[in-house]
Amino acid sequence: MSSKHRSAVRGAAARHPGPQKGLEYRAILEAAVDAIIVIDHQGTIEDFSLKAQQLFGYVPEEVIGRNVSMLMPEPHRGAHDGYLRRHMQTGERRVIGRGREVMALRKDGSEFPCDLSVGQVEGVDPPRFVGFLHDITARKKAEEQLQRSEAELRLAQELANLGNYVMHAGGGGHDYYSPQLHRILGVEPGSPSIAREDYLERWVHPADRKRVAEAFARMDTGNSPLDIEYQVVLRDGTVRHLHHLAQAVLDADRRVVKYIGTIHDITDRRRAEDDARVLQERLTHFSRLSTMGEMAAGLAHEINQPLSAIATYARACQRIMIQPDADTDDVIAALEQINAQALRAGEVIRRLRNFVKNREVKREPVDCARLLEDLSTLAETDARLHNIRLRLDCEEPLPTVYADPIQLQQVVLNLVRNAIDAMSEAPEERREVVLSTRMDADGEVEVTVADRGTGLAPEATEHLFNPFFTTKASGTGLGLAISRSIVRAHGGRLWHTPNDDCGVRFHFTLPVAPAVTTGD
Amino acid sequence: MIKEQKPTVFVVDDDAAVRDSLRLLLKSVGLPVEVFESGQDFLDADRDDRPGCLVLDIRMPGMSGLELQVKLNERHSILPIIFITGHGDVPMAVEAMQAGAVDFIQKPFRDQDLLDRINQALDKDAGSRRMLAERNMIRKRLESLTPREREVLDLVVAGKANKVIAGDLNLSQRTVEIHRARVMEKMEAHSLAHLVRMVLEVERPEA
Repeated sequence: MSSKHRSAVRGAAARHPGPQKGLEYRAILEAAVDAIIVIDHQGTIEDFSLKAQQLFGYVPEEVIGRNVSMLMPEPHRGAHDGYLRRHMQTGERRVIGRGREVMALRKDGSEFPCDLSVGQVEGVDPPRFVGFLHDITARKKAEEQLQRSEAELRLAQELANLGNYVMHAGGGGHDYYSPQLHRILGVEPGSPSIAREDYLERWVHPADRKRVAEAFARMDTGNSPLDIEYQVVLRDGTVRHLHHLAQAVLDADRRVVKYIGTIHDITDRRRAEDDARVLQERLTHFSRLSTMGEMAAGLAHEINQPLSAIATYARACQRIMIQPDADTDDVIAALEQINAQALRAGEVIRRLRNFVKNREVKREPVDCARLLEDLSTLAETDARLHNIRLRLDCEEPLPTVYADPIQLQQVVLNLVRNAIDAMSEAPEERREVVLSTRMDADGEVEVTVADRGTGLAPEATEHLFNPFFTTKASGTGLGLAISRSIVRAHGGRLWHTPNDDCGVRFHFTLPVAPAVTTGD
Repeated sequence: MIKEQKPTVFVVDDDAAVRDSLRLLLKSVGLPVEVFESGQDFLDADRDDRPGCLVLDIRMPGMSGLELQVKLNERHSILPIIFITGHGDVPMAVEAMQAGAVDFIQKPFRDQDLLDRINQALDKDAGSRRMLAERNMIRKRLESLTPREREVLDLVVAGKANKVIAGDLNLSQRTVEIHRARVMEKMEAHSLAHLVRMVLEVERPEA
């Protein structure tokens, strides 16, 4: 603020009151951008510039000769005479030559902020004072706006747990870290910049270090913005999941000038996702267990068959061997059968164990036809128990799908069991479940389970996939809900259509595995 | 009905291993055995009037063991049936017993338990067949009687004395005595008690 004004007026006032000088003085007064108010030592207004008139809304007649405190809101209004008296007695300068921000009062009663600087006119008696006022409403508004938007940004970053930064390569320029970034990385606000090597060594989780370093290096080429999720370990041992987006800014020589980036703390989201996944897996496993529980009778039968054959063969062998003219051919054939039947029982148990085992979900290339054959052992036990035939109709060759084989079997088994239940009252000639696979028009593998049972009641169709909806006395109501979520997680669809004459068909699709899959 | 046909154990089980192991076990103890994969196969083979017994899996696809039992009852087969059940099949086993099965055995079983049951069944079958044969013989003898002889027989069996019979039939007591001797001879009865037993055997309300 304006030392120019002050010296100009000081000069003008010094020569006051010659008539020529009076005109110059007036011209300056009228032309000045700031409002100029001249008062005497008692605060009485002597001059009130054009700009002052515009600013305050007074005409000179309304203010000249009156106390300047009329232009101030409280508390200065009541205190101004005191300020002047003190100054006159002590010569102490509080405002003069210094300038400050004050509030001013318009004629209409409204207030506005302004920069005030005051000069003392020297060489006159009694002394006079010249006040320069500059309306700073707009600047104030802009400042407030800026503060507000900074506060909002900070709040937004806090809420989103998102930090941003600007970092210069090679230490040139002023690095910026947002406060939230400091919090995310667990460092004090105002800490020095973190060098990349340091960041990789001391923050990034060892398991992710190589991957992150490679991504950073790729970003340096300027062609590939950084977009990576990784974990960091804070000094207190806390592990956080971060989503880091950044871009390198290059100069004309394609050297990195600076990095601009955001780091999003997604720990909570990941944790929630993990929790949801664990819950889903537990539920899926529970459902498999309860399916097996419901199938226990059939499975016991399936294991009893080979066991009883083994026991009978063994005793037959004993009885043959004690005879003087034992037929060893019969014995050898029986021993072979004993071996085969033991393996058969073992196979049922192996499949059962596989099916109910609580295990990591693992996607792998799966041959659908083989999978269904494998499954039919389990499914057939149930079918036999209910005097129903299970027919397998696999179109071959089928492309490989990428899936978790056990979960896939779970889906098929669920559908087959539903089909069997739907036919409990069906007449003998209709008691058949057809399990078929084919490649559909979109090149996806489609598995269909068709029954010729009672069909679906309209009210059942509506809730079919709702968890805990069941039409069975002993059902959990989870089968279809879980089947659908498994199929969806595999990128497929599960739906149903009426079968040609009676009953229902359930279909699901699975996307085909890419020709070359590299494990990750 | 031909005597001296050797009793055979018929096995019907859809499980190849179970069927074959039973075949071998029965062969090892010298019992003639024939195995069938399904109830229908057994019906088609027309073995149900042969002496022996039937070892039948209660739970089979298509025609179940119970359904085969019903069909055999319809054919008036007297072949004793031993059902093989899994566990949890108790209600079915009860149904089978009510329909006249001789026994049931739960899988997996001790071979001796099965063989004992088979032997009992074969004994029962032999007994039934003997009884049937005897009844047929008695019926044949009865058919050889003249109407007059038959009248005398009925009154004798009813416990009437010759004099009473003579009065009832308006015959001389001597004539009654001659008829009565002919009846005893034709029926090959050793005594009056024997004669009565034979007649009751075939003329009980239920055969």
